[in-house]
Amino acid sequence: MDEAQVVGLLVRRCIAGDSAAWEEIVQRYHRRIYNICYRFAGTSDDAQDLTQEVFIKMYRTLNTFDVGKGAFMTWVTTVTRNLLVDHFRKTKHDRMTDSLDTVPSEHEDAQPLSSQIADPSRSADDHVQSRETREVVHQALQKLSPELREAVILRDLQDMDYKEIAGALKVPEGTVKSRINRGRAELARLLQRTYRQVM
Amino acid sequence: MFEALLSEAIDGQLSASRMQIFEAHGRVCTICGPLLADAVAGRQWLKSLEEVEPPAYLINSILAATTGISSARLHAAAPERRTGIAGRARQWWNSFVTPTAAFVRQPRFVMSFGMIFFSFSLALSAAGVKPSDVAKIDVRPSALKRTYYTTQGKVVKFYENIRFVYEIESRVREFKKSTTPAEPGPAKPNQNRKNNNDTSGQPDQKQERNYSREENQPVLAGLPDLPPDVTVTTNRRFV
Repeated sequence: MDEAQVVGLLVRRCIAGDSAAWEEIVQRYHRRIYNICYRFAGTSDDAQDLTQEVFIKMYRTLNTFDVGKGAFMTWVTTVTRNLLVDHFRKTKHDRMTDSLDTVPSEHEDAQPLSSQIADPSRSADDHVQSRETREVVHQALQKLSPELREAVILRDLQDMDYKEIAGALKVPEGTVKSRINRGRAELARLLQRTYRQVM
Repeated sequence: MFEALLSEAIDGQLSASRMQIFEAHGRVCTICGPLLADAVAGRQWLKSLEEVEPPAYLINSILAATTGISSARLHAAAPERRTGIAGRARQWWNSFVTPTAAFVRQPRFVMSFGMIFFSFSLALSAAGVKPSDVAKIDVRPSALKRTYYTTQGKVVKFYENIRFVYEIESRVREFKKSTTPAEPGPAKPNQNRKNNNDTSGQPDQKQERNYSREENQPVLAGLPDLPPDVTVTTNRRFV
């Protein structure tokens, strides 16, 4: 029995009212959804709330999932992406006051971005390997537009292929590729600019 | 064309020959070269990000928010029982209560409830109310009735005591007034002025004129036509 069949069976059991099947689905997908939410929203608190909302929505609309139309992961990613976009629109005003020196999330050291970068004693390789650099990249990711951000998250962090991403975002594959390329380039430029300003 | 092949080139999906052409163009083109370099660098940055570990309680929160139970495995161990009317009523009741309980168990709600409790206890301690005193309160009807009458008796007694004190005070004040000799009052300023100005001992001229007009004239009118014996009238009043 392959992955798709296992998930299809779980979904059917869940629709029939089997709470153990639902728990199995939560166990399987919560980590992945949490990571997408965390990389998109930027903070652990928002990621937890959004992950919970995604599962609540999944639980309510599970009967609308059609096994024949696509993979369950694509459906889950679509639900997640829609909620993330809604969240992005709702919190637009809050983000307008954000600056480069905002305090990072609790997953990483609580230091401003500029102070993390301003460490001339480190080489570039050290930066790539370090935990602080990951936090810098994570914060730079938040500066990308939501279209580019979701594309690079799904491709480079979730390792989804272009077809799956196109299905989840409901855009053509060419658009997905273009967004990924622009997202990567924009992120690199953003990080280079940040390093140049500080060092 | 270059941008269309960029993703495949970065992913290593281009054939060797096409890759050579692609890289050759990237080296000479001032637009495509930086784009390729930035895209490769951006991908490397993104790949440096590791998967983050979700909080341990997240699964329980999700299950509590969706199904209302923290873990289905714990409940799955319980044997399935045939439920009667009472059991079905309980299930119906749980369908309302469980979502509420799941909401109440959320950390945000617990935090808010904690803050409210803390504020309330702070206000009570500032007001001097002790929890031990509250626990000793007897709420039986007979005890409440007794408390009511005791409090009423205290209020009446206090009122009577105050009234008695006021009566004593007023009596003492009256007694003092009656025993103290009366002091002469201050002289009237009009009298002093008259005494200072008129030293003749005679009534005022104005007063004389008034008497002649208002009192002597009717007397004179009533007299016979005989010549008066006294030709000089006196102004002295006889009291």
